[in-house]
Amino acid sequence: MKFKKVTALAAAGVMALSLAACGSGGGKSSGGAGDSSDVAESKSTEKTAVAGKKDAKEKLVVWTLAADLNQFADHYVESHPDVQIETVTIAPADYPTKVQTAMRGKQKTPDIIVGEPQMLDEMYEAGYFEDLDQDPYNAQDYKDDIVDYVWDVGQDEDGVQRTISYQITPAGIFYRRDIAQEVFGTEDPDKIGEYFKDYDTILQTGETLKEKGYKIFASDGEMNFFSGDSAWVVDGKLNVDQARKDYMDLCIDLYQKDMTAYVDSWSTTWYQAMAGSVPVIDKDTSVWDEKEMKEAEKKGDTTEVFAFGLPSWGVLTMRDNVGDLSGKWGVAKGPNYGFSGGTFIGISALSEKKDLAWDFLKFCTLDPDTLDWWIDKSEGDVVSNLEVLEKHKDDENPVYGNEKLYQFFLEQAEGIDYSKVTKYDKVIGDAWGEAIGKVKKGEKSKEDAMNDFYDEIESTYPDIEVDR
Amino acid sequence: MASDTTGKKKKKKNLNNMGYLFVAPFVIVFLIFNIYPVVRTFYLSFTDYKGFGEAVLSGGANYARVLQDKFFWRALGNTAKIWGVNIVLQLGLALLLTIVFSDIKYKIRGLTVFRALYYLPNLIAATSVAFLFKTLLDWRYGTINQIMMSTGLMKSPVNWLGSPGTAPYVISVISAWMWFGNSFIMLMAGVQGISRDYFEAAAIDGAGRFKVFTKITMPLLKPIMLYVGITSLIGGLQMFDLPFLISGGTGGAPSGSTQTVVMYLYKFGFETNQVGFASAIAYVLFVIILVLSIVQFKAMYGKNKGEVA
Repeated sequence: MKFKKVTALAAAGVMALSLAACGSGGGKSSGGAGDSSDVAESKSTEKTAVAGKKDAKEKLVVWTLAADLNQFADHYVESHPDVQIETVTIAPADYPTKVQTAMRGKQKTPDIIVGEPQMLDEMYEAGYFEDLDQDPYNAQDYKDDIVDYVWDVGQDEDGVQRTISYQITPAGIFYRRDIAQEVFGTEDPDKIGEYFKDYDTILQTGETLKEKGYKIFASDGEMNFFSGDSAWVVDGKLNVDQARKDYMDLCIDLYQKDMTAYVDSWSTTWYQAMAGSVPVIDKDTSVWDEKEMKEAEKKGDTTEVFAFGLPSWGVLTMRDNVGDLSGKWGVAKGPNYGFSGGTFIGISALSEKKDLAWDFLKFCTLDPDTLDWWIDKSEGDVVSNLEVLEKHKDDENPVYGNEKLYQFFLEQAEGIDYSKVTKYDKVIGDAWGEAIGKVKKGEKSKEDAMNDFYDEIESTYPDIEVDR
Repeated sequence: MASDTTGKKKKKKNLNNMGYLFVAPFVIVFLIFNIYPVVRTFYLSFTDYKGFGEAVLSGGANYARVLQDKFFWRALGNTAKIWGVNIVLQLGLALLLTIVFSDIKYKIRGLTVFRALYYLPNLIAATSVAFLFKTLLDWRYGTINQIMMSTGLMKSPVNWLGSPGTAPYVISVISAWMWFGNSFIMLMAGVQGISRDYFEAAAIDGAGRFKVFTKITMPLLKPIMLYVGITSLIGGLQMFDLPFLISGGTGGAPSGSTQTVVMYLYKFGFETNQVGFASAIAYVLFVIILVLSIVQFKAMYGKNKGEVA
């Protein structure tokens, strides 16, 4: 009798739990159209790596977006054998959500959280990162060791240091030296920089190249990193200044005057363009569609792309894709200073191992030996440490015609002004990009697209004043 | 004698208490995971909570903002459009199949097999369905366009997912395809609950198939229809996974035509950290669903509750 009671209670308990588990979705999912039954927990985009011995005394948990930190972790445990580091690599699209869930759930791990610049403002506001200016970290002691803009990006809106990065990612124009010689009579980076010094000049350069059968860029999106650093919001008011409008006009002109190859960034054809010629396609062809591209190839017309607009990590991307054109590329200055991406590392405010986390953070971002090692290991990533950059100033990169890239990027990085970035930038930037897309394709007039843009901003951020 | 009855009473009381004990686990878990979040969301809808930090009370400001936002009304319109076409297709198909399978003259074999087959689309995860249909409906070389062009039904390919005029309806069709099996099972169960005697009596009296359907089957199916109708209403107005996956984000591409209310809510709750506002959107949706459910209930049952008209 007692046994029956116990089993009955246990069964009831299990049923209750399972009922409640699907009860929260259960009532709805049993009938009717569309309940979000299982938006699958994409565990497949997460990879975990463990560095160090299993029985190590101290354990650190790192959540990152790029596999780089795996290598840093391995390097760290070589000199710190009593530490074990577990690195979880999460796809950038999922990363902010995962961190948000963990932090809102008051989890004690991860100890180290990272972010790319566009994610950081919200994470600062949410209070996920530890204040690095206070004892025992005193990050400001290292102020002169790294490129200035990195400190700016790593600070929250009150100027408190929250994250630091081991990279700098200033943008440059990666151009074909052989085409430059043929069309402009020179392949010198400084002189080529003159052909990209402002938007009007760029359009002229594009026309010149078009006449000779080349396309200045793969798509108008290549100018993305050179749209300038105007603030989107000033004193609570939306600020669409002339620079932004000029950028819109530039994209529209590049697109409509047939100066680009209509090849979107990151498509297979885009990579192809780094190594040579690509098929000629028109505005309506989707570069992502295999069949359409095969049809275009059959037609036989090809063209070559003169330049790519990429941040410094483009050095690595292109190196992997230039094939036989290695040595024929160079890097020149664009019309504006710009940057994109970069992994910024900080300590979780909820971590219980803050000292160890700080040690690892310092190791990755402020230790010249580590960064020297990283330049070798990554084969060309541009680091933020000034001492190391000085040391490698005269490194010549054979893929880029023996140009001294570290020197170039250091100069570019010094021109970056981060002070005008706001937390609204991502949404506003996306809406602006959408508006440009509609106008360039002729789907909407500029006025209509601008009105839609203003509507979107008003609706999403009612606290921003919008003047039309 | 007296001791006997008190003994029996005690046993009865114990049994009653045992009942509460059995129900307790479920109730506790239900309170924590269902009731608490609902109540908290209601509270948050009157604040300007940003997902972290303090929640400052802001009165009805969020509600005023929802009702004045043209994008909310647009999302509501989209949701209604998508759901409307979806429900007609879904229930229509389910009803048609029910009639076919419940016909007493032509006893169709293999009901169990068909039931399983029709239910299969519902078992595929929404992500896979979205990916599948994105490929099929591709603008220039997708299978559907290819078939329609080769059979001469269309001259040039239609950009199903890329034009605001067709995209919402495409989602309705896909959703109907996913859920009609479910409705079919419900309706069949309902039909099988109707006593055979009615059908046989009707057959003897010489009633045609149509008359049987409208005068016997439909009225007796009312309770089930109401259940299917209301659950479809709730599920349909809350539709999120399919349009989100097919349009690739909360913006409801193309041009916001596939943005449903929950996608709009998601944008504020999880993409821009305006959790207080998102909570208000959730409750406005709740009120709308509640009102429509009541309307549907009244329509089915007329003035007298429980009476099968």
